Amino acid sequence: MRTSDVHYPRDLASALDLLRKRPGALVMAGGTEILREQGGRGISLPPEVVCVHELPELRKAGLTERFLEIGAAATLSEILELGESALPPILAEALSLVANPAIRNLATIGGNIACRARFMDAWPALACLDAIAELRDAGGSTWMNVNRLAGEDRRPAFPEGALVTRFRIPLERWDAYALKKIGPKDYPDPETAVFAFAARVEKGILSEMRLAFAGETAFRSNAAEARMIGLGVPLSEREREAAGEAFRADAAFLPEAQALRFGSLVDAALDLLGR
Amino acid sequence: MLHVITIRSPIARGSVRSIEFPSMPSGYRAILPGDIPGRNRIAAFAADIPILAREMVRYVGEPVALIAGPDPIVLESLAEMVKVDCEEEEPAFEWQSFSSSRVVAKRVATAGDPDLAFSITPAVHEETYRSGAMDYSYSEPQGAAAAYDYDKIAIWCATQWPYQVRDSVAQALGCRAEEVSVRPTRLGVHLDGKLWYPSLLACHAAIAAVACGRPAKLMLTRQEDFLYSTKGAQCAVSMRAALGPGNDLLAMDVHIALNVGAYAPLAEEMLSQAVLASTGAYRCPNLRVEGYAVSTNAPPLGAFGGLGAAHALFAIESHANRLASASGEDPADWKARNIAKKGSALMTGEVLREEPPYAQILERLAKASDYRRKHACYELVRKRRSGKSDGPLRGIGLAFAFQAAGQFMSGEKSGTYSVEVGLDKDLKVLIKTSAAAGGSGVLDVWRQTASAALGVPAENVRVAPADTDDSPNSGPITLSRGVTVVNRLVENACAAIQKRRFRDPLPLSARSAYRVPKPITWEDGRVRGSLFDAAAWAGAAVELEIDPWTLEPRPLGLWLCVDGGLIVSPERASSAMRSGCADALGACLSRRLDPGSGKASEYFRHGLPSLAEIPPIAVDFLKPIRKSPAKGIGELPFDTVPAAFLTAISQAAGARFSSLPVPSEDIVRALESA
Amino acid sequence: MTVSFILNGDDVSAKVRSADRLSDLLRDQFGLLGVHSDCRCGRCGRCIVFLNGRLVPSCLVPAFKARAREIVTIEGFSQTQEYRDIADGFRESGMKTCGFCDGPKAMAAAALLERKPRPVAGEILEYMSIVPCRCTDPEALVRAVQAAAESKARRLYRRADK
Repeated sequence: MRTSDVHYPRDLASALDLLRKRPGALVMAGGTEILREQGGRGISLPPEVVCVHELPELRKAGLTERFLEIGAAATLSEILELGESALPPILAEALSLVANPAIRNLATIGGNIACRARFMDAWPALACLDAIAELRDAGGSTWMNVNRLAGEDRRPAFPEGALVTRFRIPLERWDAYALKKIGPKDYPDPETAVFAFAARVEKGILSEMRLAFAGETAFRSNAAEARMIGLGVPLSEREREAAGEAFRADAAFLPEAQALRFGSLVDAALDLLGR
Repeated sequence: MLHVITIRSPIARGSVRSIEFPSMPSGYRAILPGDIPGRNRIAAFAADIPILAREMVRYVGEPVALIAGPDPIVLESLAEMVKVDCEEEEPAFEWQSFSSSRVVAKRVATAGDPDLAFSITPAVHEETYRSGAMDYSYSEPQGAAAAYDYDKIAIWCATQWPYQVRDSVAQALGCRAEEVSVRPTRLGVHLDGKLWYPSLLACHAAIAAVACGRPAKLMLTRQEDFLYSTKGAQCAVSMRAALGPGNDLLAMDVHIALNVGAYAPLAEEMLSQAVLASTGAYRCPNLRVEGYAVSTNAPPLGAFGGLGAAHALFAIESHANRLASASGEDPADWKARNIAKKGSALMTGEVLREEPPYAQILERLAKASDYRRKHACYELVRKRRSGKSDGPLRGIGLAFAFQAAGQFMSGEKSGTYSVEVGLDKDLKVLIKTSAAAGGSGVLDVWRQTASAALGVPAENVRVAPADTDDSPNSGPITLSRGVTVVNRLVENACAAIQKRRFRDPLPLSARSAYRVPKPITWEDGRVRGSLFDAAAWAGAAVELEIDPWTLEPRPLGLWLCVDGGLIVSPERASSAMRSGCADALGACLSRRLDPGSGKASEYFRHGLPSLAEIPPIAVDFLKPIRKSPAKGIGELPFDTVPAAFLTAISQAAGARFSSLPVPSEDIVRALESA
Repeated sequence: MTVSFILNGDDVSAKVRSADRLSDLLRDQFGLLGVHSDCRCGRCGRCIVFLNGRLVPSCLVPAFKARAREIVTIEGFSQTQEYRDIADGFRESGMKTCGFCDGPKAMAAAALLERKPRPVAGEILEYMSIVPCRCTDPEALVRAVQAAAESKARRLYRRADK
């Protein structure tokens, strides 16, 4: 049975200092990701654990006309309780599909995004919204677009040694959106994945379109999206077919079964723009 | 009290060379096969199962030793350090093609001349239907505790058969049965997974308690339970069917392979049930059914919501639906025409003494679900569809089944089962039966029965907690016995009391006994014993829609109509049927196990489906005919819902699926190739 | 480590190891056997407790995180009026259960009714999936939670009994 040293830093500065001094330490907020696959009698943690769920800097929320800011240690339930007027519907939908309400009371948005094993349910919605995450380490802080948390290999690329502290989510008007979860819903299964889609139409022209899909790997294709901008809405059948093919081609890296399902989701989203 | 953890075989097949334990802190010790005072075997129905495998191991996770100590987390760390050194042999996991050496049971049934019939019909329909490999997902974690209680050893565990536990523990400890006192703990939904497995756990706890001289408690984590304890068997039923000129069933050739894992305690019963149900209740003049129970190096695989009929009923009902559709006929009509009538002789030689209530069940089901209109409409859409967006992706399926009565298992030693009833001076009634271990649902039935028979209010009837010191052996509690056999015994005991009541003063008690009949036996391809006497019947309709985005099936409605004879408590029975239907429907949506794969992370991938996926379920009971007895109905949801679901999803996707769950990518492929 | 927290209204303290789960701490050191130790991966709901007023699966909470928290288990919750509303409603509706999921189901129902005093069937089924069980008859569960809602409303607004 391993014994771990558990640290409760009082503020962000002490937390960052601790992480600098103890490079292999585990950051724990809700702990749901860390514990969800430990079915044994005892729990096994690395030798050093740094608890961040109570850091005041990570629990603030703020709302302006242009964006919503949420602390990384906000639980998914707390975020959902911000309500319709504050929370973009595509993000609300994504968070409400995570596991069950009890787990959402523990799981944090930071933990959801910082997962290195796979992409969790919040990523596609945040990616679609072009949300940015503040990452801090001993060297300082940077704001990084959530899309850049997917690496070249399409797997999670959350930087080593960094602590995510808050998210800034642009609040924009969307004319059509969809958020769909496929595979087992109550558990992050290898087959589980989330599809997010949002589109804006101005004067009958598609002015913005975003489509993200992630499970164990992540998909986002700026090229395929860019090709759609400027098309007249409703899209013709030919245009939808061509777009569907373009997205499928860019998603060819997905495992076959998942690629087939991704294709259906893309077709259904494009159908939304075809009416 | 000491906790106990099981040390297990890391390999699926081979022999144990040695077990190396880490140095144990004071208070912790290992328990080896040599520490078993009596026999290192439990007699589980037809199988002889080692309590701690000494030389040969037959499945990953088979218990080979125990360790005991005061702290379960320390124990767990110690268990991880134990090295079980084995000589590995090539394991056998393949069960659909097999050599005769792995056949544990074989059954053949024939009628007419199937070869001739097949040779003269142009259209032959073939398919292999696969089912099973389910986890029980019990309501409670599994385990057992043992402790000395003066001169006895007391055992606590949840079990379907307290006396089986008692006899197993007595044999393991080399003591008399009376020296073991089994005190069953609360039993949740068991789906027939606890007929014998708890005896193994009880023996482990007992030998640990005796070896250490302290009370001992062994609890499996859910992960261990998932990976290493008994699971529902896997089955593949290959059907070849030929229709005659009027589209009636002319011939069938059925091949059944049943994966029963290691040791296979219930193989014979399961195979018999599967073979006997393989033609459903349809007339089939030319028939060959060959069934094989195949042992593999998976954990013992057994009954799941019944002994095995569900697998065969899934196949025959799905196939009948397909046969009908292939000739453009509504399956409801095809079945009405082909169902065996009163006076027909079935596969077993048994002559049906009563008309299967197919017509009445169909009428009510069709009315409640609007089956006819929906089926016709969805068929039309299916035929015309050329892509995903051409109309809603909906389907509806019907399935019909029976639950045979009077099944007994070859492992039930000949003898008697009994129940004791007492009526005291205050007109309070006490029922004593080991079947009380089975859970609260059926207790209400007995209380009602006693209340009616003795003319006392039901509140005055109590059922004593099952305890082998005090409660007579009423046999294993399977899904139907409580309502049938045990209920009859309660009734008879009450009748005996009534007879003496006005002659003799209270208190009075009576014991009613029942000689265990010979199990249904198979001789020369003919079965002795009646299957259809007092069988219960049911039909189910499942309607579903395939979500156009996710292409996942979304059940829209489930209707069940049951002929269960006399329903003692309709509200209770409806609720039990609804929860059974929810379980059966959940099974249609959940992924199957790969028994014996032993991958620890698989545990996390299997869970009960969300309630939000369950549609409204409507349960309807036919009015019983006069003097109809109470019939066992608990298996009927598992016998009907899967075939109805398979048919519905096949219609919705315009495909021919043959097993569940249907992966969404297969639905995509089916729709894209339309 | 020593953690101090409030448990069912009392100030308590316990020595814990980093390997201990909150569920096992509550059971083993405080004898609160109403907190079941079951799936150990947060899915069965049998270990749920109120942690600072929020329903959480205590098997997913390391014992050391109890520090400075307020925890209420079914034992504490069953002393409250909210529990009695739920228990009355469940009993009136006649819902039968296997006996293992009752306490957690009552807590989940209470948490739901806090947010949605008049939940509809879909909301009930979704929320009560916190405690999945093979014994569940979905229709009976919906009726039971709606009866609990009614029972609570009657008490809160002092409406006459039907």
